[in-house]
Amino acid sequence: MSFIPGQPVTAVVQRIEIRKLRQGEHLILGFSIGGGIDQDPGQNPFSEDKSDKGIYVTRVTPGGPAEVAGLMMGDKVMQVNGWDMTMVTHDQARKRLTKKNEDVVRLLVTRKSLEQAVRHSMM
Amino acid sequence: MDRYADMEDKLRILEDLNMMYIRQIALSLQDSDIQKKIDHEIRMRDGACKLLAACTQRDQALEASKSLLTCNTRIMAYMSELQRMKEAQVMQRVARRSSEAGPTDDRRPCKGKVAISDLRIPLMWKDTEYFKNKGELHRCAVFCLLQMGGEIHDTDMVMVDRTLTDICFDNTIVFNEASPGFDLRVELYSCSSEEDYSAGSTPRKLASKLSSSLGRSAGKKLRAAVDPGSGAHTAAVPLLVFGPSVPGPKYHLLAHTSLSLAHVQDNFRTHDLITSEECTYWVPLYGSVCCRLAAQPDCMNQQMMSGCLKVKQLGGDPQSSTNVYGVLKGTNLSCYHRQEDIESNVEPAFTIAINKETRIRASEKDPDSNVQSISISNLYGGEEVTHTVSADSRQETHRWMEAFWQHFYDMSQWKQCCDDLMKIDLPSPRKAALVTSKQGSLYHEMVIDTAGDIGTVTDILTRRMQELELRSQLGTSPPWMSLFAESPGRQRSPRLAGHSPRTPRRLPRSPLSPSRCPRPSLLSSDASLTSDSDSPCSTSPCSRHGGLAEPLSLPSSRFRPRTLSLDAKLSTLRGRGYGGALQCSCQPPTSSLTPIPAQRVSQATLSCSSSTSSNSSSEGRRSPESLDSSPFSRPSSARRSLRSMRAKLDPRNWLQSQV
Repeated sequence: MSFIPGQPVTAVVQRIEIRKLRQGEHLILGFSIGGGIDQDPGQNPFSEDKSDKGIYVTRVTPGGPAEVAGLMMGDKVMQVNGWDMTMVTHDQARKRLTKKNEDVVRLLVTRKSLEQAVRHSMM
Repeated sequence: MDRYADMEDKLRILEDLNMMYIRQIALSLQDSDIQKKIDHEIRMRDGACKLLAACTQRDQALEASKSLLTCNTRIMAYMSELQRMKEAQVMQRVARRSSEAGPTDDRRPCKGKVAISDLRIPLMWKDTEYFKNKGELHRCAVFCLLQMGGEIHDTDMVMVDRTLTDICFDNTIVFNEASPGFDLRVELYSCSSEEDYSAGSTPRKLASKLSSSLGRSAGKKLRAAVDPGSGAHTAAVPLLVFGPSVPGPKYHLLAHTSLSLAHVQDNFRTHDLITSEECTYWVPLYGSVCCRLAAQPDCMNQQMMSGCLKVKQLGGDPQSSTNVYGVLKGTNLSCYHRQEDIESNVEPAFTIAINKETRIRASEKDPDSNVQSISISNLYGGEEVTHTVSADSRQETHRWMEAFWQHFYDMSQWKQCCDDLMKIDLPSPRKAALVTSKQGSLYHEMVIDTAGDIGTVTDILTRRMQELELRSQLGTSPPWMSLFAESPGRQRSPRLAGHSPRTPRRLPRSPLSPSRCPRPSLLSSDASLTSDSDSPCSTSPCSRHGGLAEPLSLPSSRFRPRTLSLDAKLSTLRGRGYGGALQCSCQPPTSSLTPIPAQRVSQATLSCSSSTSSNSSSEGRRSPESLDSSPFSRPSSARRSLRSMRAKLDPRNWLQSQV
């Protein structure tokens, strides 16, 4: 999913709505993220394009709110509650997901299988 | 001045007359509902005016002014509704007009709930202004007014200055009785936070307002807001709204936009704003507003029709028809075996889709029972499946047909809202205690870890201080306490470099958990730590008093706000006599050593050098010495966080965060 600077990025996305789970005084979503514009993209095991500095889902806790909502390992997070995730630092991404006053996060994620599905349906 | 006082008096009289007039209209319509609402708003308005006159603090004045504007807008909305009703009354010559009245053959779409949330308005500061952050910080108070029909809601007030990149309103606002043709007007009001609110300026404002006739823009706007009625009514309105002598901050319309059904989506969208020109209350808007506009028509989340039905599937066993209890809701006709199943949350026996593609016809009368039945056809993956549904009696069948027609009509009116049920999250009662009051910009916040929060740091510092205090009271003040004396010139290195020989001695741990240090840059520099074995503490960042702030490899300007507060906090703690124990807080930031409970031996200071030098990976492997000497009973959450902090800063690592 490489991009050309200055050109709009298009992707087939899936909407995933995660309801945070309260554990004590923490609100958890049940997944881990990797990536960011301040990270080394070459080490991302999930990205197709090794220069992609986007935010990827690296792990999904089984049975957690993210898994229930349909998030899968390897998904690239494009947007969280209206905020863009394609051009953020790792910490900014983490912050956007862990806002204490939000119970629900609505993600837009993309994955290779989605693109493939669209391509097949168009054939 | 006398003239102004005179005019004020006259205005007050006129206002009272207005009130009487409004009340009379309401009475004549015998609509106690609106009258109550108007009375309530008028009382609120009086309260806001009084508060505005009485308060001294700017924040209070801004809040009161906001309430005043909201009340005024509401009053105007109610008044215009009253006028509409009055006109209709006169025209139709009926004793009372209720909202249900209307020709029965005129189909009306069902109402629904419309919710707007996550309002975000991006700002566009000049980059020179934003990054330099010099000079006076001009602040503006802004809030949004959302109006749909007669319902008006306001968001919380947000203070805007040039450190903010977006204006975010956290409120979720739900309008309950919306029709599909709704028009949701979003208005952004702002007020400069530096205006002179003194009452002295009011007479001038008053004079200027009075001098401009109603034909001017102000009057025009108001007249447009109020429905075209007879001229006499509208003349009274502006006087009411402007009100005599309301000192204090005044909000002005900065931008607005109108949202309708076409903008509704179960997603976040950006809409354009119409902005007003530059003036004192101006804020550089990017020109759009991002929000989530969702709608739940009643037909999607309420039972539109229910009753007993006999269902036969065409193509199946022609003789078999199932007796079910059918419920029409959303895009389905759910058929339950028994009516009680609905309450007990049992899954329906089967479900027939009722959506835009469904075709419903009344079919021939069944020769046996002489009852008309309804056939419902759907396309399931290319195949047409038809169900024949019949009710007990002719009347019932008619009611069902009527319900289906209404449902189709609703779906055609609400369009995309009927594809799927959109979720509307009602704002949780847990209030802003958890929310930080100041919205910082993304670039100015830099907390790596929740453990790095200032609050946590100082809490932990205080706790450690107390533990240490206890310890010293018991007379086991360790000799190394002298190390943490205020004078930085002391040679600490010998002590620090001393390793195992001192092992048997039980030392209380370093009072400060360095992992809590919010200065990540300190930890990443392995070089500075390994040098500890040779040189005194002074080379390490900690040699300074409360020196957590200083030697940052990252641009210090970012940390300035936090630095100051941490410094302040630390100095107050120090002032309480906890002494230089604070000094070497960051000294042995090695992950393995920090979370040691107070009772345990801490090789922290002693073996820091050895352990750091043995750290080859940024994950922070433990050094054997420190482990052997003291069993760690407590799980090392701090250790982990410290380790993670070091991991975060190593560019060789690809960071992963658990959310």
